[in-house]
Amino acid sequence: MHVVRKLALLSVVACAGSALAAVPVRAAYPERPIELIVPWGPGGGADQLARLVSKLAEPLLGQGIPVVNVPGATGGTGMAKLLAAPADGYSAAIYIADSHVLLAGKNPRWSMNDIAPVAVMIEGPSFIFVAQNSRFKTWQDFENEAKANPGKLKIATLGFGSVDDLSIGVIERSKGLKFVQVPFSKPSERYASILGGHADALYEQAGDVASFLNNKQMRPLLIFGKQRLPAFKDTPSSYELSIPVALPQFRAIVVRAGTPADIVERLSKTLTDMAHTDEYKKFLAEQFAVPDSFKDASMAPAYVSQQLEDMKKAMAAQ
Amino acid sequence: MIDIVSQLADGFVHCLTPLNMAMLLIGIVIGLLIGVLPGLTLVMGVTLALPFTYKMDVTASIVLLTAMYVSGTYGGAFTAILFRIPGEPIDVPMLWDGYTMGRKGRPAKALGWTLVAALGGGLLSAVVMVALTQPLARFALRFSSPEYFVIVMFGLLSVVAIGRGSLANAFISMSVGILISSVGVDPVYGTYRFTFGSPILADGIEFLVVMVGAYGVGEVLTRLETGFATKPLDKISNARTELPTLKELKEIKGMFLRSAVIGDLIGLLPGAGATIASFVSYGIEARFGKRRDQMGTGVAEGIVAPQSAATASVGGAMVHLLALGIPGSGATAVILGAFMLHGIQPGPQVLVKSADMVYTVFASLFLGLALMCAIGYFAIRPLVKILDFPEAVVSAYVLILCFIGALSIRNNVTDLWLIIGFGVLGYGFERLKFPIAPLVLGAILGPIAEETFMNTMISFSNDWTVFFTRPISGTIVALTVTVLLLPFVQRLMRGVWRGL
Repeated sequence: MHVVRKLALLSVVACAGSALAAVPVRAAYPERPIELIVPWGPGGGADQLARLVSKLAEPLLGQGIPVVNVPGATGGTGMAKLLAAPADGYSAAIYIADSHVLLAGKNPRWSMNDIAPVAVMIEGPSFIFVAQNSRFKTWQDFENEAKANPGKLKIATLGFGSVDDLSIGVIERSKGLKFVQVPFSKPSERYASILGGHADALYEQAGDVASFLNNKQMRPLLIFGKQRLPAFKDTPSSYELSIPVALPQFRAIVVRAGTPADIVERLSKTLTDMAHTDEYKKFLAEQFAVPDSFKDASMAPAYVSQQLEDMKKAMAAQ
Repeated sequence: MIDIVSQLADGFVHCLTPLNMAMLLIGIVIGLLIGVLPGLTLVMGVTLALPFTYKMDVTASIVLLTAMYVSGTYGGAFTAILFRIPGEPIDVPMLWDGYTMGRKGRPAKALGWTLVAALGGGLLSAVVMVALTQPLARFALRFSSPEYFVIVMFGLLSVVAIGRGSLANAFISMSVGILISSVGVDPVYGTYRFTFGSPILADGIEFLVVMVGAYGVGEVLTRLETGFATKPLDKISNARTELPTLKELKEIKGMFLRSAVIGDLIGLLPGAGATIASFVSYGIEARFGKRRDQMGTGVAEGIVAPQSAATASVGGAMVHLLALGIPGSGATAVILGAFMLHGIQPGPQVLVKSADMVYTVFASLFLGLALMCAIGYFAIRPLVKILDFPEAVVSAYVLILCFIGALSIRNNVTDLWLIIGFGVLGYGFERLKFPIAPLVLGAILGPIAEETFMNTMISFSNDWTVFFTRPISGTIVALTVTVLLLPFVQRLMRGVWRGL
């Protein structure tokens, strides 16, 4: 009797308490593992980031972060999986520029209103690379040859309609050049194509070809950006050559729009703490990323929107 | 050379530490299990193992993943030979001679041949890999889209040509496979094809769904029709593991070596892997082998050719990864990821900078192959016993495995419905005497053929003559033509003889 009364009293107090606070009773988030969707295959840049986050953020969050690869449709399949899950913060996805560019095209399968960026994890500028033994010593050499033989030089890219395609389109128009774009959906084939001399140049981010740069198999001709990068101080930037385009590869973590603000805040805080660890800073350096790549939930949405505007601008000029 | 031998000796010493040996053993066992499960490919298996390597020493983690990769090319042969269900795409050619030999009452012998083929192919490619890492890697770079396209065409056309039944039926079957593979978003221009506005179809149809459905579910349906009354094999449970005799081995040493070399070379190419190696090797054997007329009737050559090439391709793919930093297959792409997570960048310098690690991995390949075959040897007997169980019970488990495999491909429930659909299709093909292998191969190789063809057209401004004028590609075309035209010429000649 005594116990029952005590319980009843407790529950009344609890109800009153929650009513006063005007929030539903909820156990502290996260109370179970958070699924991190990688909309790309294993082994690539998005996958590596996810696995690093899973490893570093797990102790900070106190819950496991299993990584699930759901490749297909330039990230569309994985995004569909995220958007089909409840907006409760237990599903998140790696969201990268290569998928984001789909929103600038016709009939995108999702829009900015469907996603809530939690954090931008890494931003890596894009480059034009050649094989170490290439006959092109500088970007000027490359440009001269392209001018003399329009439609002859081959650039290996991710594919038509990709960020790579947009950037090369801007070079072609601003300089009056014509290249042949050879699309390789698999990175391994893309890299082999310039190492084997089957393509003349490669559009890529430095982090993805870091091993080739360190092993002296490839070297950069051009960096897409407003300024040069300290690690590549001899490589001219696109803006100084009056090529008005700089579409970096960014990799962000997003959840579904409508996820409660306190949950987004909790995730963002965890990722911020993680971004301050030495291990993460080392990762950014190894990836040749912009040192202040990381943006938390207060800045990430604006950044992602701005990227879309830049992509649309590059596309509209086509 | 002496340098390499001494480094390899060091590698063996490093490899014999308890941790590395434990990883080797675990990797081999898991790899075999993954090989056995239809639909769960070795690439997926290696991916699933990746998170466990985070906290491990880098050498141990690469040893683990490589061991899984090697034994993954072997495990699938068991289900192919015993149940006519390929555990991996590479095991499809195993159905023709391996399963047939089993049905003729010698399943233990067929498994014995598989074991020897995996061991021989694997060892040869490991030796080649250790001795010739650098020159081979440079050679592989000379392959580009035109070469890949003609290799893929060789694989596709040989599977049509080697069939025993109607050539027209085989061709139709392959075309259906290619048609299935073209569903979804086109890989080059992003056009939607045959999607009928459905988002599920826009993602395309995975070849694994076709394979698991047409073979796994289709086989169960075929057995269901006969009321699970396939004639039981006599005294299977008493069968001992039968290794081929030395005399038998001597008879086929030439083709054994050839298959292993083919596998190693194809494994080297970044655009091709164990599956293409296995099919091409079988195709070449069926055309040029001494007993080509008996291929498909359960001869040893039909088992050795695909199995030794598939296992040999692992060495080739590892060469490419270690020497150039470019993964030559799906599994090596994941292994590259493991290297990166541990802060090691494969490439020309890794052979110098991390020689210890590299040679330990090399040594682990040798030890792993021996271990894998030892496990395989002792596993054959209990595995063959499964054939004594009532067929209905075994079929029920096969269905469960098919469904697990299909779901694990991309965590999509729609794939479960698709494998049922392809099961019915496979059953229909079987009834109407259309071969299934060309269908499955069309679905597997169709996308690679399309992408490499489109890339060639884009790079060489629509000049189709490059397929014939480039030296490597021209040679392969010449080979393909002989392989395809020779049988017709022969048939014609025979007719003429009889006429006289």
